[in-house]
Amino acid sequence: MRRLAAVFACVLGGAVLMGGAAEAHANYVRSNPDSDARLVKPPAEVRIVFSEPPDPKGSEIQVLDMNGKRYDKRDVGPSGDANGLRVSVEPIPDGGYLVAWTATSAVDGHTTKGSFAFVVGNGPLPAPPPVPDAAPPPSPLEIAGRALSYAGIALGLGTAFFVLFVAPAATDPRRESSLLGLAGALIIAGSLVLMVDQGAKLPPRLGVMLAARAFAGLVLTAVPITPRLALMRPVGALAGGGVMTLGPFATFRPRRMIALAAAVAAAMTATLVSHATALGSLKSMGLDFVHVLSVSVWTGGVVALLWCVLLARRDETAEDARALGTTVWRFSMNALVATALLITAGVLQAFDRLVLIDDLYETPYGIALTVKIGLVLVALAIGALNLLRWGPRLRAGIRARNALIRDTVAETAIFVVIIVAASFLTAFAPPAQPSAAAYDQTQHVSGLRLEMLVASGGPGRNTYVLRVHQGLAPTAGAEKVAFRFTMVEHDMGQQELVAAERAPGEYVANGSPTAMYGTWHIQTIVRLTGREDISTVFTVPVGAPSGGGSTTSQVVTVGPYTMIVFTDPATVQSGAPLTMFAVLIGQDGNPVTGKHLRATFAGPSTQAPIDATEDAATLGPGRYKFAIAGLDAGTWKAAIAVGNEGSAAYSLVVSR
Amino acid sequence: MSRLLATVAVVAVIVSSFAVNTKIALGHERRPVGPYTFVVGWINEPAYVNAANGLSLDVTDTSSLKPVEGLAKTLRAEVIVGGGAKKLSLDLSTDEEKPGHYEGSFIPTKTGDYIFHIFGDAGSTKVDERFESGPNTFDGVVSTDQLQFPDKVPASSDLAARLDSVQTLVTLAIVLAGVALLVSLGALVMRRR
Repeated sequence: MRRLAAVFACVLGGAVLMGGAAEAHANYVRSNPDSDARLVKPPAEVRIVFSEPPDPKGSEIQVLDMNGKRYDKRDVGPSGDANGLRVSVEPIPDGGYLVAWTATSAVDGHTTKGSFAFVVGNGPLPAPPPVPDAAPPPSPLEIAGRALSYAGIALGLGTAFFVLFVAPAATDPRRESSLLGLAGALIIAGSLVLMVDQGAKLPPRLGVMLAARAFAGLVLTAVPITPRLALMRPVGALAGGGVMTLGPFATFRPRRMIALAAAVAAAMTATLVSHATALGSLKSMGLDFVHVLSVSVWTGGVVALLWCVLLARRDETAEDARALGTTVWRFSMNALVATALLITAGVLQAFDRLVLIDDLYETPYGIALTVKIGLVLVALAIGALNLLRWGPRLRAGIRARNALIRDTVAETAIFVVIIVAASFLTAFAPPAQPSAAAYDQTQHVSGLRLEMLVASGGPGRNTYVLRVHQGLAPTAGAEKVAFRFTMVEHDMGQQELVAAERAPGEYVANGSPTAMYGTWHIQTIVRLTGREDISTVFTVPVGAPSGGGSTTSQVVTVGPYTMIVFTDPATVQSGAPLTMFAVLIGQDGNPVTGKHLRATFAGPSTQAPIDATEDAATLGPGRYKFAIAGLDAGTWKAAIAVGNEGSAAYSLVVSR
Repeated sequence: MSRLLATVAVVAVIVSSFAVNTKIALGHERRPVGPYTFVVGWINEPAYVNAANGLSLDVTDTSSLKPVEGLAKTLRAEVIVGGGAKKLSLDLSTDEEKPGHYEGSFIPTKTGDYIFHIFGDAGSTKVDERFESGPNTFDGVVSTDQLQFPDKVPASSDLAARLDSVQTLVTLAIVLAGVALLVSLGALVMRRR
């Protein structure tokens, strides 16, 4: 019971010290100016919001004209928005501009890149240059750093757990010390390699985490070689949490407890800079932490079993064999629990991070995961052999030590490969990355991976993106990619948008085919040279605008009339032209024509009153149109007067 | 009399609703080609899968609106699916009762879009035009599912897909059987030791 309490204290201690949600991989969510925005005035700054916190030091926002001339003031900094960056822009003339951004995650230092375009005044949008990989593959140094760190964490944690709870009392302390020392050295080396890999762009948060990990490694290294253990207790407490110095824990096998606390702390840093935290939920972080702990107890325990027990003991006599068999049995029971937790946590994590089962062989993340799963299965098979075959023989007093040594050496070799696979896994972006799009679904059709993204969830003008991949490679140069829109609830005919390829395998179309709230089918047709058309249907709900916005449609009463007011686009952005419509309905329910409507504005800046135009032939009867060149960001109140008969207030939020 | 008018009105509404609500927008694509106007579509519309159909081509002189005859020997046509995955040359035939009208018959066996490629000479005009089905031109080939009664006949492509999935399951079963055999052999060997 004391041991369980001690383990709980270790975990809690680590959590107390290292707790706190964090995220990784910063992806574009929205910007001001928006992607493909048409502005009536040049912006003074460009602001981008990412899915996760970016580090300004390693991030960049370039504003380029169509000749590549740079107009930003190179003063990238926090924008004040959550996860936002901004850069000042010099006065720019009318024309098309490209914003090329590079964001370094403040959590794990991963870099993501992208670009979008906007236009000031009239004129075409610039064609973006070929976009590099949004998330470049990890460098060999990063892989090496991660592999060293994970190996050290697994070895340290597994060894500490093994000697505390599994190993016989007479375990040679020198062998235990050598393993803990090696684990500490691996952790320190891994942390340093990761720092070197990041170089000058090392985000402060990641720096703190790596420093904490290296410190934990230092504790692991120092514990076995420092005779004055009492001096190490405060260090262990720092690594594992203040609870380590309380009550009986302070005197309960202090050296091993300190080692376990340090290893748990190092494991905690691995979780806090992982993809799990990128999903932004405590559940994911908890699962990841359980995953790291259980894999460490298992893999590090096998190495400790091999080095501290199997290689140190003999089974010449039946008594020795039985003693060895008892230790193997105890370890096997612990390993069974650990692998059960490992598999459960791993499967639950996979549900969160994979989109399709095909991701397991079509994405770098999935391939690394598949390799890891395969190796774990092989290691489990060997473990099962030890448990069911050699363990019973030993417990029966029959010699089986050599066979056990052979199998655990094989397991150790497999673990090394698993750790390398895990290093790739944690460096690659998982397929189920948070997306900036209101709609993001993936289907696998005729060998192609089709990811459909719809920028806005509202009706009206929208951007439709289809990402086409075959295996790992983007499918570039399609003869034709078309989107055909049909509404489910009403027969509104079929409309087609033909997409243009803006980046390898990424096909984009803009238009207003989904004019009504409801359910829409988007049939995507991909035509590749020499192949039959690949077609599938995505079902897209069209409703209130996404991104926390709300519909601009409001019903107000003006004297004897009911007036429905709404804007186009539904999501209004600062500086962008918009049209405000008012539909005037009389008490008899019929549209009211021939009225003079005037909108008077009050808001963050000055806006002259605007008179509505009425054109029943094109707009429909009773529908009045206010053409607005652009409004500054903030909340606006529009008083819409109908002649002298009365007026009503309409509120409008203009985003940056 | 009023009953008669009401009945006529109801019938008219029903008939017109069929016309308005039908999911199939019938049509041909009209396109100027040099001094001529080409009108391209299906012989039978809607074009159903596995039903005899073909290219319907009408050529008129744009300025005089007179049908242009005698192009069957100088114009060639082919039907294409997808990105040139499969092509079929069509023999253009004429109809004495419909001057300027040309047809190339075939049976479309897949639903979806088709491309008619018409090339060669029309008088002194070189022709090389692709007419592709779509919402703004002429309809693609549609399934007969909604018309089948009482039993649904699966399309050949559906049958092929089902066979593929069965084949995959058979392969998986063979692999699993192999693994089971290996495990059994391993257990047998271990037991004998």
